[in-house]
Amino acid sequence: MHEDDSGVTKKRTLQLPSMSVPLSSHEMGEVELSCLAYAKMYLHASQFPRCSVNGLLLSSSAAGGAVCITDCVPLLHTHLSLAPITQLALTQVDVWCSQTQQRIVGYYQANACASDSSPTPCALKIAEKIFEQCNNAVLLMIDGEKMFPGCRVPPIVMYERKDARWALKDKHTIMLRQWEETCSIVNQLFSSGDQALLVDFDSHLDDITKDWTNQKLNAKIMELVSPANGNV
Amino acid sequence: MNIEKMRDKLRKWREENFRNSEQIVDVGEELINEHASKLGDDIWIIYEQVMIAALDCSRDDLAWSCLQELKRQFPDSHRVKRLAGMRLEALERYEDANKLYDSILQDDPTNTAARKRKISILRAQGKSSEAIRELNEYLEQFVGDQEAWHELSELYINEHDYAKAAFCLEELMMTNPHNHLYCEQYGEVKYTQGGLENLELARKYFAQALKLNNRNMRALFGLYMSASHVAASPKVSAKVKKDNVKYAAWAASQISRAYQMAGRGKKENKCSVKAVEEMLESMQITMS
Repeated sequence: MHEDDSGVTKKRTLQLPSMSVPLSSHEMGEVELSCLAYAKMYLHASQFPRCSVNGLLLSSSAAGGAVCITDCVPLLHTHLSLAPITQLALTQVDVWCSQTQQRIVGYYQANACASDSSPTPCALKIAEKIFEQCNNAVLLMIDGEKMFPGCRVPPIVMYERKDARWALKDKHTIMLRQWEETCSIVNQLFSSGDQALLVDFDSHLDDITKDWTNQKLNAKIMELVSPANGNV
Repeated sequence: MNIEKMRDKLRKWREENFRNSEQIVDVGEELINEHASKLGDDIWIIYEQVMIAALDCSRDDLAWSCLQELKRQFPDSHRVKRLAGMRLEALERYEDANKLYDSILQDDPTNTAARKRKISILRAQGKSSEAIRELNEYLEQFVGDQEAWHELSELYINEHDYAKAAFCLEELMMTNPHNHLYCEQYGEVKYTQGGLENLELARKYFAQALKLNNRNMRALFGLYMSASHVAASPKVSAKVKKDNVKYAAWAASQISRAYQMAGRGKKENKCSVKAVEEMLESMQITMS
C-alpha cells in the first residue's frame, strides 16, 4: 500500500477474481453503471479532449443496497476549481433531481493530462460534499489512456469512502452490464454525429437555450439500447 | 463547396484562432489535394494551419506531408522548425522536441514561440510548478504578452493559488478594460477566495462584467450569489445588507427573465426554467 498526498490509498497487490473474500456486506458494496451514464461521461470527456471535465452521477433507484448509477449530468470543462459555477451547478442539479425522483450518488472527472487519472483536490472536495448526503457515494475518475477504439477494458477507476478516506474500489464490485453493447452504442453515437448533441452545464451557461439535462441525447441513447434489456 | 468558400473558411478560422481541428483537416486536406495549384502563395500558410490541425486529430500522415512541403520551401526557417517540434510533441517525443527548440533559441534567444512550446511541454508532462516558474520568467521579459498572462492565470487556478491568479487577471483587465470575460473570471476567483471583503469585490467585478456584456450569465449568477452572501453576513451594516438584498433581487429577476425568454417554445427547457426558479428560492432560504 502507498499513500499519495491527496489522501487516497492505492492498493498495489494483484487480486485473482475468485479469491477476493468480502469482510463485510459494506465492503462488497456493488456499484452498477448504466449504459446511459457511461455513454454520456465518455462523450463529455471526448468533447473536450484538452480540458479537465467533471460531472455528477445520479441514481433513480431507492437508497440502500447496491448503488445503481442510472444517469449522469456533465458539468464543467473550464475552471473546475473555482467555486461559484460549481456551487450553482450543484444547486441546480439538486433541485432537478428532487423534481425527477433522482439522487446524486457520485462524481466523475476526466483530467486534461490523460496519463494522470488520480483524483485532484477539487475532485476529493466535491466527492466529500456528496458523501455528506449519500453514504455510499462513489468517485469515478476516467482513465484517458484507455480511451481508444478497441480498448477492451472500461476506462474507469472508481473510489469509495472507507475509513475516512477515498480508497480504490475493487474492480470486481463494479458492474457494467452489457459492456460490449455499451461500447457499440458509443461508437454508433460517434459515427452518426450524435455525440455533438451532448451539452454540459458550462455550455448551457454560454447559451441557456441548450439543455444540460440532455433530454434529446438521452432519447437517442435509449433508442439504441437493446429493448430486451430494460435495465442497461 | 467551391475553392473560394473553402479558402475563406480557413482564413476565418485562422484569424479567429479557432481550434476546430476536424473541420480544418476536412476542408484543408481537400483544398491541398485537389486545388493546390490554384492557391498561390496562400498555400504555405494553409499547409501550416492544416498541419497543426492534423496533429490535433492524430493524422500524422497528413501532418508529415504538410511539413515536408514547408521544409522544402523554407529550409532554414525557425517557424518551420517549430512546427517540426510540435509534431515531435504530438508523438510525445518531448526530449527531441526540446532539443529542436533549444537549437532555435541558440540561434535566436528572443524567439518567443520556441520558449512557449517548451513551457507547453512542461504542461503536457504535468510539471505545473516548473511551467509556472518558466512562464513567470518569460513574462518578466515579455510583460505585454496577453496570451501568456492568461495561460499563467489558468495554471494558478489549477493549482488553487487564487491570489496569484487574481494578480494575472488584474494585469489582463488593465490592458483589456473592455473584456467582460476577464472581469467575470476575476469575480469568480475572488468569490472562491471567500471572506466578506472578497465577496464584495467579486460582486463589483461581476457587476462590471455585466455592464460590459449584459448577457454574461456567469456574471449574472455570480452577482446574485455574491450579493446574497454579503447580505446574509452578520458583519455588515443594515445599509449594506439592504443594498445587497436589492442587488440580489435585481439579479434574480434578470435571471428569471433570461430563462423565460430562452425557454419560450422549447419543451425540454421547461425543466431548467423550473429548476432555476426553485434554485433561486432555495438559495434565498439558506441566505436568510
